[in-house]
Amino acid sequence: MTTTLTATTAPAGLTSRGPRGLVWAVLRVHRTALVFWGLTLTAATAGLIWMHTIADDARRGNVPCAEPAHDGLPSCASVEAITVDDLYSDGIALVTTALCYVIFPVAAWAGGALIGRELESGTARLAWTQSVTPARWLAAKLAVPAALLTAGTGAVLLLNLWARTDDNPNLVGDWYGPDQFAGIGPVAVAYALAGLALGTLAGLLLRRALPAAGLGFAAALLLYTVLERYRGDLWPKVIRADAGGFELPRSVWAMSWPGPTGATRAMYHPQSHFWPLQYVETGILLAVAAVATLAAFRLLRRRTA
Amino acid sequence: MTETAIEAAALSKRFGRRRGPALDGCTFRLPAGRVCAVVGPNGAGKSTLLSLAAGLLRPTDGTITVLGQTPAAARERLAYVAQDKPLHPQLTVADTLRLGRELNPRRWDDRVAERIVAEGDLAPDAKIRTLSGGQRTRVALALALGKRPELLLLDEPMADLDPLARHQLMATLMADAAEHGTTVVMSSHVVAELDGACDHLLLLGAGRVRLAGPLDDLLAAHKLVTGRADASLAPHTVVESRTTGRQLTALVRPDGPLGDGWQTTAPTLEELVLAHLRAPEAPALRLDTPQEAAV
Repeated sequence: MTTTLTATTAPAGLTSRGPRGLVWAVLRVHRTALVFWGLTLTAATAGLIWMHTIADDARRGNVPCAEPAHDGLPSCASVEAITVDDLYSDGIALVTTALCYVIFPVAAWAGGALIGRELESGTARLAWTQSVTPARWLAAKLAVPAALLTAGTGAVLLLNLWARTDDNPNLVGDWYGPDQFAGIGPVAVAYALAGLALGTLAGLLLRRALPAAGLGFAAALLLYTVLERYRGDLWPKVIRADAGGFELPRSVWAMSWPGPTGATRAMYHPQSHFWPLQYVETGILLAVAAVATLAAFRLLRRRTA
Repeated sequence: MTETAIEAAALSKRFGRRRGPALDGCTFRLPAGRVCAVVGPNGAGKSTLLSLAAGLLRPTDGTITVLGQTPAAARERLAYVAQDKPLHPQLTVADTLRLGRELNPRRWDDRVAERIVAEGDLAPDAKIRTLSGGQRTRVALALALGKRPELLLLDEPMADLDPLARHQLMATLMADAAEHGTTVVMSSHVVAELDGACDHLLLLGAGRVRLAGPLDDLLAAHKLVTGRADASLAPHTVVESRTTGRQLTALVRPDGPLGDGWQTTAPTLEELVLAHLRAPEAPALRLDTPQEAAV
């Protein structure tokens, strides 16, 4: 009795912990990409923690000044001597821009390495003749990178918001700047996921690594450009007409504004439109990702038994 | 009562509308437990047939049943090794075998797979991209046999092996198949590599079944005859005949006893296959329909 018990429990104790089955397979086959993603996230995290530590100094280098110093304002020479604000601005801008460009390498990688290369070299057929259906194979190929992309871009996004502290536009840019908008809200995560889905579809369509990487990249570029161009139309603009002339504050995103002085009619997005604009764009991106994923599964189904 | 490993009915596959069919109305039946050779010239549809049986392609027309199920439903019970032996180049041999274990959790047998790899003196930590063609074939076969399949589909399995490795791997394969009663389907255009290993034959030509049945029955149904050039071979079916001077040599399917003027010998597998390849117009012969007496 005891011997049979030990005999049956021994293999269970020997099996290693960690991911199993298809998840293990996806992580192992794409280990290079996984390591690269880990290094990128580590670098971004370290950079943002550094930016947060110099944020207070940077703000001291970006204050009104007078020459010579009077009325409690510091002298401009002393303020200009502080260069840490430039470093801070550049650092934050770099991470924010990188965050909103994640879609491009992701789409190229998904088309090339994730799907295209496997179909080109026949290793996909190797997987499909194990005890794994093509649909489950594709599901794992999408789910594992999607989870890692969501976690990674989400974490960097939150760190970025934390490192920006009080969102001083002189230091970190205005919320409506093309890179700023896509790098400081949930659209950042949605862009990465849309890139993954478009690249996957490109890979299944072309079945060859290099053309699929190119098509994935091109599709991502098209999506990004179209959304950036029509971003202002995604939510109703505020129209202000005033015969006496007025000026718009810096915090609004002016869509049409005849000139700095004597304006009588302006269309703009106030800062309160940030979240509605983010939600609509995120929704569009997730819908694109869902349609591309669905198309990818249908294509695979039609080709295989 | 014999079980059926593969049964195809009017099976057709077309790639694109403009190209001719790769398979055109194939009907045959392969009983379980056989070692079947799929033979034919290049482009005869051998690879297409094996891909259809493995559930990697969808037939354009007709049906194919594998182990009594659709190929997709039988996925767990069959193994397939493609012609170019695709493996992940960046994985080690050990990781490739682990891939088999992870993707076949209910069937995998580590000992079988590791034994085949060890017989080839392969280091477990060697990367696949550093292996020679023959070594890759060995790993691909280890992956296929480690799954403990009931049906093993091999597309040109020995093409890139040296004669010694071919002999060794074939022996391993046959011993394993005999021990577990595995049905093996092996395609090749080198007939010599199949002689002595297979007991069932499927000859394809231009996407159609030319010959199908147990090898012994097919060989027994044909005679190699030599006689005078002006003699008549009616009413026998002449597959192929050649005249040299006043002498005629022919492969025939005798319909009743042959006349006295003929010298007859039994053809070898190679003679049988070559005669059919040289004469694409010869009528097809199927001897694989279940015999009423056997049921």
